[in-house]
Amino acid sequence: MRKPQRYSFTTFDPALGEAGFRPFLPLTLTYGEQSLLANGLLDTGATVNVLPYQLGLELGVVWDKLTTSLQLTGNLAQFEARVVVLEAKVSDFEPVRLVFAWTQADNVPLILGQVNFFMEFDVCFYRSQLSFEVCYKKDV
Amino acid sequence: MTMTELMPMLRSLSRAEKLHVMQCLVSDLAQDESDLLRQNMSYPIWSPYDAFGAADTMLKVLAAENSSHA
Repeated sequence: MRKPQRYSFTTFDPALGEAGFRPFLPLTLTYGEQSLLANGLLDTGATVNVLPYQLGLELGVVWDKLTTSLQLTGNLAQFEARVVVLEAKVSDFEPVRLVFAWTQADNVPLILGQVNFFMEFDVCFYRSQLSFEVCYKKDV
Repeated sequence: MTMTELMPMLRSLSRAEKLHVMQCLVSDLAQDESDLLRQNMSYPIWSPYDAFGAADTMLKVLAAENSSHA
């Protein structure tokens, strides 16, 4: 059984001070033969995972080959989205299939939400220590 | 002025002066935090909140893919 992996919160704008720190998780996404390393924002308030448009293109996903359209909410509602399933590897945990809403929006982070990131991984946030722990569900 | 130069000066202050400095700094920090959000500005929230229809569709697609890979 693998032990939980601990990560630090990350800030991309020191000018924001303490408020600028966010829980970004490094993970490898794979689609077919194409893989890339990305940082996903752990967003427990997000109902679903969201893949930004450019990231999907870099993975070789072809928009016209995806047949299931989605209606997202909030500011993402104005952009078309389609369903894509990727393989994701976090640390040395087993690879898992993560389903994403691939949005045509680009100025949005890679979002890891309830469906289905938090269904596959247990996460404990230690915000006061600017860190979080991730554990694969099957290792619990 | 560096921290190395500043700290001895701060330590030489009276107790009341030290408390006053702390209060000023805490107030400035609080003001910095509130300045992050300004009036009459919109701040887009990208999180897909309450997207239950999308979630249902996505879980069905995932289940179908998992069955075909099994």
